[in-house]
Amino acid sequence: MKEVTIYIGGVHASSEPALVKTLLGSCIAVCLHDPGKRIGGMNHFMLPAGAAGDGERTRFGVHAMDCLIGAIQKLGGDRRRLVAKVFGGAHVLAIRESSAGVPQQNIEFIRDFLREEGLRVISEDVGGYHPRHVHFQTSSGRAFVKRVGTREHVRVLTEQARPATTVSYGDVVLF
Amino acid sequence: MPSTILIADDSSTLRRMVRTALEAAHHKVVEAPDGRAALDKSASVAADLVITDVNMPEMDGLTLVRELRAVPAYRFTPILVLTTEDGEEMKQRGREAGATGWLVKPFDAERLRQTVAFVLGRKRA
Repeated sequence: MKEVTIYIGGVHASSEPALVKTLLGSCIAVCLHDPGKRIGGMNHFMLPAGAAGDGERTRFGVHAMDCLIGAIQKLGGDRRRLVAKVFGGAHVLAIRESSAGVPQQNIEFIRDFLREEGLRVISEDVGGYHPRHVHFQTSSGRAFVKRVGTREHVRVLTEQARPATTVSYGDVVLF
Repeated sequence: MPSTILIADDSSTLRRMVRTALEAAHHKVVEAPDGRAALDKSASVAADLVITDVNMPEMDGLTLVRELRAVPAYRFTPILVLTTEDGEEMKQRGREAGATGWLVKPFDAERLRQTVAFVLGRKRA
């Protein structure tokens, strides 16, 4: 089975059996699966939404979700059949936990988004204090989560601290 | 000058974002959740501009563009495609279907308003 690792801003969907992997701290990964067509995919976003110059578009939840749904539809999936599994939103930074913090904002955003879009959530493992390794099988829709300790914690913090690149909005072409 | 803009997107979140951006420029926005619904609404709303996504469950955006171009009232109406699809082949297909322009998501609200103002101005000229 093909294995693909995604990082912050990553989106990967496949109609062939594939294992998509990621490591999450306060970020969120959403796994979407069309059980009828056995098509699935995962994204990994950092914040609910951003403004110009804030970095690559799929770092932000609203665009990461749009890209993932679009990628699955492009492969023949039907959004009306999609089911979602949601992971991440851990409180991994050494600052005081707050309802206005990034992890809680991410969790609230994705719950609201999925409810508003009518996408059914069949499993959720969010919050807490430990980073998570998430593995998702695109054909079966099965997801495996492992909470990790200090060494991986450092990797997560390093990854989240990566400076944003400068691309933000898409092109406009008039014919 | 305010115009009536018909938007087709299967994401209610994206429709709301586009609506907010365009209503700030005093346009009237009519929403449709897919191409079929947009085509049905097009007869009654007399839209000055249509903005459509590509991948939608009931009638994709490029089919919507082709269907609208076959309707006399929409033969020359600007139609913008707003999508995450950014490949050159897809853009070419959009052009061949009769789209006026291709905008890749995510969109910047101000740039969307400028593009809308430009194509509406070009239509009136």
